[in-house]
Order: sequence, then structure tokens, then C-alpha cells
Amino acid sequence: MSIQLSIKDLSKRYRTGEGVSDINLDVAKGELVTLLGPSGCGKTTVLRSIGGFLEPDSGDIQIEGRSVVKLPPEKRPTTMVFQSYNLWPHMSVYENLAFGLKIRKKSKAEIREAVAGALRLVRLPGAEKKLPGQLSGGQQQRVALARSLLLQPAVLLLDEPFSALDAKLRHEMREELREIQAQTGLTMVFVTHDQEEALALSDRIVVMNNGRVEQIGEPQRIYDDPASLYVARFIGKMNFLDGTAQGEFIRVGRGEFPNPKGLAGPVIAAVRPEDVRIGAADDRALSGRIKQSMVLGHYAEVSIETETGGTVRSFLPKDAVRELDIGQNVGISFAKTIAYPHTNESTGG
Amino acid sequence: MTKERKQALWGLVLVTPSFLLLLVVVVIPIVQSFIESLRNEAGGYDLSRYEWLFTDKGMRNNIWFTLKITVISCALVLLIGYALALYLRFSPGKLAGWIRRTYMIPMFIPGVIATYGLMNLLGNHGWLSRLLLPFGVTLPRIIFDEKGLIIANLWFNIPFTTMLLSSAIAGIPGSVIESARDVGAGKLGIFFRIILPLSYKTFLVALTFVFMGVIGSFTAPFLIGQNSPQMLGVAMEQVFGVFQEREQAAAIAVFTFLLCSVLGFFYIRSMAKEEAARM
Repeated sequence: MSIQLSIKDLSKRYRTGEGVSDINLDVAKGELVTLLGPSGCGKTTVLRSIGGFLEPDSGDIQIEGRSVVKLPPEKRPTTMVFQSYNLWPHMSVYENLAFGLKIRKKSKAEIREAVAGALRLVRLPGAEKKLPGQLSGGQQQRVALARSLLLQPAVLLLDEPFSALDAKLRHEMREELREIQAQTGLTMVFVTHDQEEALALSDRIVVMNNGRVEQIGEPQRIYDDPASLYVARFIGKMNFLDGTAQGEFIRVGRGEFPNPKGLAGPVIAAVRPEDVRIGAADDRALSGRIKQSMVLGHYAEVSIETETGGTVRSFLPKDAVRELDIGQNVGISFAKTIAYPHTNESTGG
Repeated sequence: MTKERKQALWGLVLVTPSFLLLLVVVVIPIVQSFIESLRNEAGGYDLSRYEWLFTDKGMRNNIWFTLKITVISCALVLLIGYALALYLRFSPGKLAGWIRRTYMIPMFIPGVIATYGLMNLLGNHGWLSRLLLPFGVTLPRIIFDEKGLIIANLWFNIPFTTMLLSSAIAGIPGSVIESARDVGAGKLGIFFRIILPLSYKTFLVALTFVFMGVIGSFTAPFLIGQNSPQMLGVAMEQVFGVFQEREQAAAIAVFTFLLCSVLGFFYIRSMAKEEAARM
């Protein structure tokens, strides 16, 4: 598959000291890549650099093999969907959509057709005559999306486009965006701080922290095998336990778990709640006491206080908790553990 | 008395002082002037004073001259005001900082003093011409010429216009301009399609202020204007003070007021349209 967008050694520092360093990323044609991280991690800086709204200190950005890093936004083959929609309030929906096409000197008939098509795509047919102020937030964001889509950009940039919408609408828009991407085959770079959104939408996720890339990978890969303790903390729910690595095993209390990375000394073992198994108390297993159990719809969350003093959360089928009593002593085993070297900042979690 | 009636009465009481002031200072003088302007030399009432306005060659020249100076001044003031306001909004440089700190200074200098200042600066023997003389440059006549009048109008009107337009342009979110650049709009496109429509109301207010200020100006035209043709304000003073023709002066005043009303009409119409669109 051909590379549509290529970012090479991109760095940008602000006077405050924040910014991004050494960002490298290739995005294939038709791929939806998400930049994910907490606010201030630099994801928007990368996106705005691609769009031309920020000039990087160093590095290159190529779109379809051509460097665009010196071009202003209006000359780049990208369009952006902004967090706050940024529709022009004095123009009707039709005028908002037609504006970019008029600049490209399209004929009236072409414009009319393209506008109608884009509005159909975002499920707002017939909204041409309305003013942005007469639309709801979700509808405004659909118009903004249509405005960007109909210019058929080489790369569509989306800057937390759904964060101002309520949860239900956000969910809907997410699905619609996925459908639109499937229909149009557009290359998209999506910025979000919402890991659930990233996991649901993306072909690949770029997890960012403090201006650097922590991990790039497919959502499942990032979920199953977080490359760093930071990613493990940021993506999904995770239990963290202090342990010691010796040879082939990591010891946590009386429990022993495999040590595939060959770590040595103090480590942090990370276990997803769905990988925690609860059995009968056993002298050779990590033991604990049931502290709390909550049935949350189709599954139950059980908290267990371990012999080492920590708390382990486990997701179980809701019927399984019937056999467990509060205060009951149990043995804990893990279907899968990931270990990270113990550093000063890695305690807790 | 019901609560609503009480409230209505209270509203009436509150509005009365400003209404009375308007009545005494504006409405009654206008009505009086209008009645006076209709009185002919024989003591009867007709439109002869207005006929003279358009048949007397000197007066016709004055009207055209006044309109010309007003239109040129309005165009230049708004052009420069917009340019300055845009520069202040989008330029982060030091120069913009200095302009921001100093552009209002002319508003704090009394008109007479500023006009004398311009005479000293730009007059035949003013210090600009003295400075340029060693280089063999001779300035054209500026003072006692329409050029001087226009420069004075710029001095008096640019600061306030810039202030109005700056606040309007500051109210346009940067993100709206960003999205225009994003779809490919250049600087001119952004100005004409985004900034101008979004600051149109303020533009109209500024235009109204400048137009009325210039068309009714007196100090600068009186001090640095030429003898003929004259701005209507100076002509009115001459007809009133030198020729002692109160009725004729009243006709000039009413005519000037009508010229201003044209702009007032456009302003009110656009406000009404916007109000209707909002309903």
C-alpha cells in the first residue's frame, strides 16, 4: 500500500518548553490513524503541523511524496475538522460547503451536486438553506465534516471533532465516520484523548506522551501488549503489582508468572482485569481476600486484596460472582502478565 | 394599579429626561430651522431658499465640494482604519504594539490645536517644507487646499474608526479564519468573505460616524480650507454670520441634515433587517 502521509523527525518547541520531538510516522493511503494522549502531550501540535497551522522547528512532512512543510494551510492538500466546528456563522450551510469549491473555480452545477452529495453522506440532506446557528451541535459538526470531505483532501485531519458532543451522539458520529471512511477511502489522521474512541475507530493508534511517541500499533496490539508502563496505564483498565524478576519467573507474593522479556530485579507486573482468574486458595499461588463485588450489567467487577497489600480487580461473568463471598480467601492466577522494569515514577496505578 | 401598569409608568418616568433633552436640543431646533428655511425674503413661505441652494453657482460648488471631500475622506479613513485594525489583530510584532499604544493620541488633542499643528507642519513655510528644501523638494500646496482638509479628516477620524473596527475584528474568532484558510482561502478571500461580512455592522457604524463628522465639520475647514469652494459648515457660518441671512443658513442646515439622514436610513434599515433575521 502506498504511503500517503510521511512525517520525518518532526520537532516543535514552544516557549513554555512544551512541544513535540522526533516524531516519525507513515500513514498509508486509506488508513485512519489516531494520535492519542492526554492534553499537552503534543498530539494537536502534530496535527496542526500537518495542516500548516504551525511551522515545525525541524523535520519534514510529505503528502503523496511531496514536501508540504513550507506551504501555508491554504496551499496544502489537507482539510481539517475542528473541535469547535468553525463554521462561518453568516453563511448558510450551502455557502459554507460551497466556499472551498468556489475558490477552486468549480462550476455552479458541480458545486450544487457536490454539496448535495456531501450532505447526503453526513445524513443532512436538504439542510442547504439553514444557518449554522439554527443547527444543533451534532448537525454543525456534520456540516463541518461535509465541508472538509467534499474538497476530497489527500489527508483529512480531525482535531477532537466529537469532544463537544454528548456521549450518545459521540458514539453515533464515531460509527458514521467509520462508514464514511469505508465509503470514501480517505486517509485520515484523528486526534483524541479518548482511548475508547481511538480503539473503536482506528486502523492504527499512535500513543503520545510528553511530546514523544510511546507506541504505534493496531488497537488490539496496543491493548494486548502495551510497549511501556505509560501505555499500559493509559489504555484500558489494568492491575499493577510489585514483583521481583528472577530467571524465568516473576514472583508476586507466593505467585510465579513467566518472565518472557528476561527482566531482572524489581518489576511492575501488569494484568488486565479480564485476565485475572479466581480459584481456591492454594499455597503455591498468590492469595487474596474478596473485598467487594459489583454486578455491572452483563459482567461483574470483583476487588481482591492480595497478600502483598495491593488490590487486584477482576472482570468475571456475572453468574460467577454468586459463588464468591465477601471476605472469602481465594487463590489468584493470571492468564497473561506483562512486566515493566521498576522505576521511581512507576509505583502506584 | 396593577403591577404591569406600574412598571410601564416607571419606564415612562425613566425615559422622560432623555426624551425631553432630545426634544429641546435636537427636535425643536430642527423643526424651527425647517420652518425658518421656508420663509422667503418677502416674509411668506416657499422653497426659494432651497432653490437658491441649487441655482447659485458658488453654493452648488460648495455642495459638490463637500460631498467630494466627505466621500474621499470616508473611503480613506475606512481603508486605513481596516488596514490598521487588521494589522493590530494579526501582527504580533513590536510595531503593532507601538501602534496599539499610540493610535488613540489624536483623540486627546483638541481640534483647533491639531489644525494649527497641521498648518505648522504642512503649510507653505511649515517645517516639513523647510526640511525638504535642502533636498530640492518643494511641497505642493496642502494647507488652504482640499489635500489639507482630507489630511485633517484622516487625523480626526482614523483613531476612533480603528478603535471601532479593532474591537469588531477582535470579536471574530481566529478559528473561523483558520477554517477559511483550511479550505484554501487567501488573504483577500478571507477579508472579503469572512472578515468584512462579520464586521459589516461596525463598518456601517464607523461609516456613519465618519460621514456625519466630516460633512458637518467646521474647525479644520474654517482654519485650513480654501476660500472657494467651501465645506457646507463654513458656508453656513458665512451666510449666517457675515451675510446675516438666517433663513438661508437654516436651509443649508436642513439640507446637510437630509444628507446625513440618507446614511442614517441605510444604517437603520440594515439593523432592522438583522433584527428581522433574528426573529
